[in-house]
Amino acid sequence: MAFKRSSAEREDTQDSKRQKTNGDGSSTMDPKQNPYLAHQYEDDQNGFKSPLDEFERHKTTAVQAAKAEDSDLNPWTGLPHSQQYFKILKTRRDLPVNKQRQEFLDMYHSTQILVFVGETGSGKTTQIPQYVLYDELPHLTGKLIACTQPRRVAAMSVAQRVADELDVKLGEEVGYSIRFENKTGPKTLLKYMTDGQLLREAMHDHEMSRYGCIILDEAHERTLATDILMALLKQIAERRKDLKIIVMSATLDAQKFQTYFYNAPLLAVPGRTHPVEIFYTPEPERDYVEAAVRTVLQIHASEPEGDILLFLTGEEEIEDACRRISLEVDDMIRESDAGPMAVYPLYGTLPPHQQQRIFDKAPEPFRKGGRPGRKCIVATNIAETSLTIDGIVYVVDPGFSKQKIYNPRTRVESLLVSPISKASAQQRAGRAGRTRPGKCFRLYTEKAFKKELIEQTYPEILRSNLANTVLELKKLGVEDLVHFDLMDPPAPETMMRALEELNYLACLDDDGELTSLGSLASEFPLDPALAVMLISSPEFYCSNEILSITALLSVPQIWVRPNNARKRADEMKQQFAHPDGDHLTLLNAYHAYKGAEQAGEDVKKWCHDHFLSFRHLSSADNVRAQLKRIMETHGIELVSTPFQNKEYYINIRRALLAGFFMQVAMRESSNSKVYKTVKDDQLVMIHPGTVVTSPYDWVVYNEFVLTTKQYVRTVTNIRPEWLLEIAPNYYDLETFEKGEIKSALTRVAEKIRRRQAMKGGK
Amino acid sequence: MGLAAAKNKRKLGNDPNNTKWSRNTDSFGHKILRAQGWQPGDYLGAKDVAHAEWHTEANSAHIRVVLKDDTLGLGAKRNNGDECTGLDAFQHLLGRLNGKSDDTLETERKAREDLKRSLYVEKKFGTIRFVKGGWLVGDQVKDSPDEGAVDPQNESDSEAPKSAAEVAEATEIAPTKPNKGEADEDDARKDDKKRTQEKKSKKRKAESEAEADGESAKEKKDKKSKKRRAEAEEGDGEASSTSRRSKKRKDGVKVIEEFAQSPSAAVSEAGGVPDHSDCAAETGKAKKEKKDKKRDKTDKKERKEKKRRKESALETATPTSAESNLTTPAGSGYSTPVPAGSSRYLARSRFIAQKKMAFADSAALNQIFMIKS
Repeated sequence: MAFKRSSAEREDTQDSKRQKTNGDGSSTMDPKQNPYLAHQYEDDQNGFKSPLDEFERHKTTAVQAAKAEDSDLNPWTGLPHSQQYFKILKTRRDLPVNKQRQEFLDMYHSTQILVFVGETGSGKTTQIPQYVLYDELPHLTGKLIACTQPRRVAAMSVAQRVADELDVKLGEEVGYSIRFENKTGPKTLLKYMTDGQLLREAMHDHEMSRYGCIILDEAHERTLATDILMALLKQIAERRKDLKIIVMSATLDAQKFQTYFYNAPLLAVPGRTHPVEIFYTPEPERDYVEAAVRTVLQIHASEPEGDILLFLTGEEEIEDACRRISLEVDDMIRESDAGPMAVYPLYGTLPPHQQQRIFDKAPEPFRKGGRPGRKCIVATNIAETSLTIDGIVYVVDPGFSKQKIYNPRTRVESLLVSPISKASAQQRAGRAGRTRPGKCFRLYTEKAFKKELIEQTYPEILRSNLANTVLELKKLGVEDLVHFDLMDPPAPETMMRALEELNYLACLDDDGELTSLGSLASEFPLDPALAVMLISSPEFYCSNEILSITALLSVPQIWVRPNNARKRADEMKQQFAHPDGDHLTLLNAYHAYKGAEQAGEDVKKWCHDHFLSFRHLSSADNVRAQLKRIMETHGIELVSTPFQNKEYYINIRRALLAGFFMQVAMRESSNSKVYKTVKDDQLVMIHPGTVVTSPYDWVVYNEFVLTTKQYVRTVTNIRPEWLLEIAPNYYDLETFEKGEIKSALTRVAEKIRRRQAMKGGK
Repeated sequence: MGLAAAKNKRKLGNDPNNTKWSRNTDSFGHKILRAQGWQPGDYLGAKDVAHAEWHTEANSAHIRVVLKDDTLGLGAKRNNGDECTGLDAFQHLLGRLNGKSDDTLETERKAREDLKRSLYVEKKFGTIRFVKGGWLVGDQVKDSPDEGAVDPQNESDSEAPKSAAEVAEATEIAPTKPNKGEADEDDARKDDKKRTQEKKSKKRKAESEAEADGESAKEKKDKKSKKRRAEAEEGDGEASSTSRRSKKRKDGVKVIEEFAQSPSAAVSEAGGVPDHSDCAAETGKAKKEKKDKKRDKTDKKERKEKKRRKESALETATPTSAESNLTTPAGSGYSTPVPAGSSRYLARSRFIAQKKMAFADSAALNQIFMIKS
């Protein structure tokens, strides 16, 4: 509403401006004279007449827009353009998309949904939203332009870049909105946001009525949120004919997108890429890490200048390869006068300042005219699309990546090394051709490429647990889950499992309708189990503690365990260890961290000394504050049991069960290390990273992962009585298969009954 | 699985796939989906949509994964010792039974033989690397063949895929008898050469047949790969004709050259010259101009291929020896490498060289025998 009002006022001003030019200025009360509204008329006070005034919405041309961009005064703010602006403008004009600006506008005017394909380097992410801005003129309609990004970092950095390009301050005309940060203001016209954030907004505004144009960027990545947004926007577009949608993809197989959006027209802009020569090995490799290391060394030994990008699968592998490459290069330098080489690892959990190092320049040759230095980046597949590193000329691709896959039958989320897709392999190769013609060395045969790789990487929606998604969809007003028009509908079993979990969590009633608890849970940007645990924690008098645990569970591992100091790290962790389990250990570490912070210690150093990740702890702190705010707005009490009370930890352990009663395992037999999950009967081990040493009979776990074995991670000891008491629905003994778990639970039920009978008898 | 094979024991539950759950049609999820009009076996999603043509198995059931806990490369199979070996002799017969044309059979046979030969040479002597030395156009040496009146680009172009085997031949010979390598790629002489080579190959065959079974298995593998390589080249040829050639019109020749070299192992030896108009010139030059910058490219591939070869040759050997190759790079300053499987030789020869040097140096000798002079 606020936006609509302000836009109406803006239109008024333009009327008044027109009047003034007619020489009819002294009519009635000029709203400009109103001191309370003065801030809205700053433009006029400068006597500024924006070139945009002559623009007619959805009828602008590229020439017009270019003229407006060239003017001395900023058409959006009325302030003079800075020197920097024109410098940037010059580079912008050189971008490949710029040549097709008119073509884009023509197409944009003629259609509601447009599919736009631009290879990396075409400038689509920064330019297209601006082209739309100059055509959509959101300051007249009050309808914003949204551009979604799959990653938070991208949303932030692109928004900053575009703010610079438009010569405005970030957070004013151009802003961004990500999960824990909103940098927009009342003046905002163009908003970069994560796809998840737009989805959350849609929960409260089913029509997306704030927006006049929505741009889905990086749609080829097919994140869960983008997929749902596409389905949602497809529906909304039917109802709101004024809403324009642009789907932007970086890969050329946009046909699927076109078909999906009722054969929407396609505009393709070539990227600024150079040809990349592709080499296969004649034979399959026995050891792809070894082969990768050798290939890198060979490139260094004999190829001309140019940086190397090597794709490997995980942190450990990457660190190992980095070490080996550096050692071998040192040898090479000593023995055969090779150029220097800087080796940088790159993976998601690497701290940002170390991630930044990949942008460092390659080292200088040892002496003038000596063999050129180069850098070698050993990365996971985050270097495949998300990050653009210039200067890469050689790509080494062993053909594997770690992929998350969810199995609804066993409810295991696995993160396993698996072959990449053909599309992914091409993306990787393309990384070599950013600056000049490059080479891509694939460590597999061409036959393997053709036969063993799937065409496209599976979209996230097919690889994830959908409990959260189903909850979101329900909140978005999607009633018919079966016929919801997704581009890639998930497997029915995955959907069933999600529904079932939500039903047990009491987020859906027996008819599949959203309950009030479910509605409340969807307000939290958390998995339903975590949200339900948080919501019901006041009943256990420990919502403060559960809030902390929830925050700690939603950030990456806070424990740091460097390879060269594993033992010391483990010893430090033991300091925080609580004998009853990892959840409580996390809490102890967090409390110690807060204690150190309050004592005025150097927290960074403290974290470093205690082998804790400062970054993750502080982001957990941030998440906690955010969740606390949501709790407060919904009137969820924040209470604690006094620490001296012996129930303190027991309450917390019981509260954990309120959300995680479906993630419980029982020890198979005494003196066995193998546990069996309840109902699903999967055999699991406790992950070696745990602090739990004494073997408990019953544990609640945070996640069930398949790495080399089936593991449950982050476990805490519980008592079976609590299960029957806290989740009687799930632990309805009638529904259990015959087996050890059932008999154990029956015994427990029997015991409770007897105790109660005794109490009753007294 | 032999006794020596790695143990891979894993305890499984009674129902590792939890079919109990998936077969249960009374679950809440089942009920809700059916209530909304879903039938078992259907996809979810809107009915009769155009994009349904892209739906795959993954849309109907969860994605199956394979637990991979080793570093076996893509497409590589772990050798469990149950592979058939020694089927080479029957390839011809089997191919005929499978209805392959005589031409393809002939090329396949040739490829097999080439591979065997090249492997033999590789193993026995290692290979000599050569350096690109320009093109002999008329009577002048030029950097690229374009300048000449003849347009070898097209020639090499069309020949590139087919000639892989021939190129291989030329190169196999090169290391042993460089004079042979001199042979032009003129058709007439090529035939000649082939004949001589075939004769030779027979001799060698006899030799190589005496080799161990394990090796022949290896060779068989290589042969397959050879075929693959040929395929690869065809594929590449196409690829280059569509995408690259358009972009790199000028460099067309180079591209093709490199294509010809890179996937085919054997080619590397001759510096990957698609038409060997002046192999001789090259061999000559090679020894003089070792530091020619152009070398880099070809060199690189050679080494790469060599390593691969070594690797494949060593696959049966212990991994340690494979590793030691790493520390003794092929570029030891001589274009004639130390024989493959050579780390031991290398160490020994170094040792011998040191000894010799010590003997030649009287001061050192005095030191060794602790003679005070």
